Amino acid sequence: MGSTGPTFDPFDNTPELIPLRTAAQAGQWPAVRAWFTGLDSAEKISTGSAVLADIDGVETFLERAAAELPGDPLPRTLLAERYIHIGWDIRSGARANHVSRDQFDQFHAWLRRAEQLLIDVCAEQPAYAPAWTARLLTARGLELGQAEARRRFDRLSAHHPHLYRAQSQLLQQVCPKWGGSWDAAHGFARECATSAPDGTNAGAMVALAHIEHWLDLDGTERTAYLRGVPVRDDLRFAAQVSVLHPSYRPDWNAIGAHSAFAFAFSLGGHSELAAPHFAFLGDRASEFPWQYLGDPKTGFHTFRTSALETRGSAHR
Amino acid sequence: MTTDLHDQDGLAALDGLLSHTTVDGIPTLYAPAAGKEITAGLFFRVGRADETLATAGITHLVEHLALHRLGLSDLHYNGATANAYTLFHVTGNEEEVVSYLNSLCAGLRDLPMERLETEKEILRTEAAGRGGGPQHQMPLWRYGARGYGLSSYTELGTWSLTPDQVRHWAETRFTRDNAVLWITSDHVPDGLDLTLPAGSRFPAPAPTSALPVTPAYIHGDDGHVVLTSVVRRSTSASVFADVLGRALFQDLRQEGGYSYSAEADYSPRDAEFATLTAYADSLPQKQDAVVGGFVDTLARLRAGRIEQSELDSVRTKLLKMYDTPDLGAASLPSYALSLLLGHRVLSPDGHRAELDAVTLADLREVAREVWGGALLQVPGRGVDWAGLTVAPQYSQEAVTGTRHESLEDDRVTLVIGTDGVSLLTPKGPVTVRFDAVSAMTTRPDGARALTGHDGFSVTVEPTLFKKVTPERIAALDAAVPAAAVVPMPARDADRIPRPRKREKPPRDRRATARAWGWTALLVLLGALAAVWPVICGYLIVDRIEEDRIPPLHGMFGMGVLEFALIRWARSVNRRRRDARV
Repeated sequence: MGSTGPTFDPFDNTPELIPLRTAAQAGQWPAVRAWFTGLDSAEKISTGSAVLADIDGVETFLERAAAELPGDPLPRTLLAERYIHIGWDIRSGARANHVSRDQFDQFHAWLRRAEQLLIDVCAEQPAYAPAWTARLLTARGLELGQAEARRRFDRLSAHHPHLYRAQSQLLQQVCPKWGGSWDAAHGFARECATSAPDGTNAGAMVALAHIEHWLDLDGTERTAYLRGVPVRDDLRFAAQVSVLHPSYRPDWNAIGAHSAFAFAFSLGGHSELAAPHFAFLGDRASEFPWQYLGDPKTGFHTFRTSALETRGSAHR
Repeated sequence: MTTDLHDQDGLAALDGLLSHTTVDGIPTLYAPAAGKEITAGLFFRVGRADETLATAGITHLVEHLALHRLGLSDLHYNGATANAYTLFHVTGNEEEVVSYLNSLCAGLRDLPMERLETEKEILRTEAAGRGGGPQHQMPLWRYGARGYGLSSYTELGTWSLTPDQVRHWAETRFTRDNAVLWITSDHVPDGLDLTLPAGSRFPAPAPTSALPVTPAYIHGDDGHVVLTSVVRRSTSASVFADVLGRALFQDLRQEGGYSYSAEADYSPRDAEFATLTAYADSLPQKQDAVVGGFVDTLARLRAGRIEQSELDSVRTKLLKMYDTPDLGAASLPSYALSLLLGHRVLSPDGHRAELDAVTLADLREVAREVWGGALLQVPGRGVDWAGLTVAPQYSQEAVTGTRHESLEDDRVTLVIGTDGVSLLTPKGPVTVRFDAVSAMTTRPDGARALTGHDGFSVTVEPTLFKKVTPERIAALDAAVPAAAVVPMPARDADRIPRPRKREKPPRDRRATARAWGWTALLVLLGALAAVWPVICGYLIVDRIEEDRIPPLHGMFGMGVLEFALIRWARSVNRRRRDARV
């Protein structure tokens, strides 16, 4: 299976998303709606809405659909996700002190538009997880505070526990960069992992929390962090009860979850522990967390080669 | 249907429940209650909302003075001044009640003015001991410093009211035509002498507004979230208040554990409108969740997501008030108040029928009306994200006039003009116009504090601004209507403010670096500007010594360069100062 490296393209990695892109690019709301109504889980709707939000111009037909279907939570939620995406694009991924006042104003204005749509959707349909998930993004961007973000997560979890995208969003919130702490971040990750049944993606939160912590450190501390035995053991246990558990069934988030473990083990120098995750991934990878490397493609390639070499059969 | 105090046709609906008559010209409702003692209440349609900021407390003063002659007695009696009414009430045997009411009316006819200064002092002391409460600020933000907004303010009139003012207030407002009496008895007791002057019935004051846009929000203290709104009085609106209280309790306390108290209240404001208040407290680390939960609870009620069971249990609770043996007597105060305010009189059967008819759709309508007129007070960050607009923090415009720089902060300037006063701050002006002053307090040391109808206030402290001369204060005094002026006693010398040391405004590092850059450039240009004439002089003298006449165009060029250097240095100096602000 010689290859030039992984693809980070969600459509390559999850071909089920391709009809959504086709319909969205053609501006065909009925086809977009049909695609979403054909999904069998809130998790998939949430993934689909994140993917759709990344496609330029979809707000045009989503605004029309939201006006035409005032009682339907779907078009408003998709529109809100698109507004959030537009806002976040203006803000750019930079840390707060590199963003101009004007960028912040525009960013917040888009998030407020999104939030007001989502307030209504959640009021009408409190069990509609995709809207609550999107409200975790608005809460973070509008800096509504730790307790409010947690309240939203709890409202969502009351109806849909263990949603991967919601968990990864709240994990960002409880990290120090958004006003949380490392205790809170690792505590939340552990809470996700232990409260979920065996064989789900939730254990990956443990890896994601360690990756965020690693990213925040400097120099030798950073190198040492993921190499440490306690972190390694933590990661190994989390992987065993989640994506490596015999009852695990891969879904649309499997690539993200395996990527998190592969990344964390590799940077900690535990190639043999990274190997099963790379074996699952093959040539597929999620942008996150690989984007934390300067050159995600080369990084992935190098780490995968070292990992698979530990299995005795080189994978080039 | 409104009911005139003397046209008691509306009361026909209450036949069998209570009786009505007039006593010395005062409309009177009565109905029997079990027990040996009876209770009586005398309502007057006058309250805090009828006052002005400068006379605030005048109703309360009349109430205290009228009760003074009753002195110390074991009788259970009291008086209460609300926004739109004053109530005197007493419980005792028939003889005691008669003597209380007679003495009260005698007191109102002839107030013991020798007590005025003492009672004023008592009221000031009462006010000092009264805590504001978390919703204390809400009326002033909604109504400004007039009418229903005055309950946010201290009783300024307790400093300055004259006997004539107080007597006139009693003679015009505490009249038989502006009163309603109720007695829990099957007959009107003998021996009553409730003679009061004739007058006219005053409708409740029209509301004023200081909120250009609703829903709006203001910032308040940590630990409290408060919402007020104004809704049309209706049975469904009063049911809604209970539904809202339960919803908040369920969402914020039972489900979330963010609050200990969460409640809502419905209080009639005047004949047509009621004030709806909702409140939740919070732990400091939970308060952003309380705000979020509050917003969401209101959104769910607005969306009509109300369980039939919630409506049913509120209805059952409200219907329970009719399960009392002395229904007629128990409902006297509320009917008397309706009569007084000119609100429709609804019989118990009529009310039961309306309660039964309330639907979930009605409640949703009320929820939308509540949100549409809402003022929300939140701790911490604002709630523009939920679609609310911050209440005005600055005036629309500033007046022009003499400018007086602050001695504490050179970014702040006081303006005293012919139309009003303005405090110019970096974020915006605060203005009180002389044609819209609610009150101006004056101190012998020259200090003046002006509060406008819109609730904005400007304090003129001559010690804190440059050149606020006695002449400028005199100009202020001449411009403010006399009725708005409240003279206050002299302050102790140590209570007269002195300018605090100027604090350097916090600067970010980039601004500081910029300022340093400009300073360096200024030094360089200044040095060049200083040295260049010396060089020029040397060159000129040198040539003259060599007996050569310096060329005119050369000298002109030297001058131009010097002029330019000075201009550049001045402009750099300006940039340097700007960079420091």
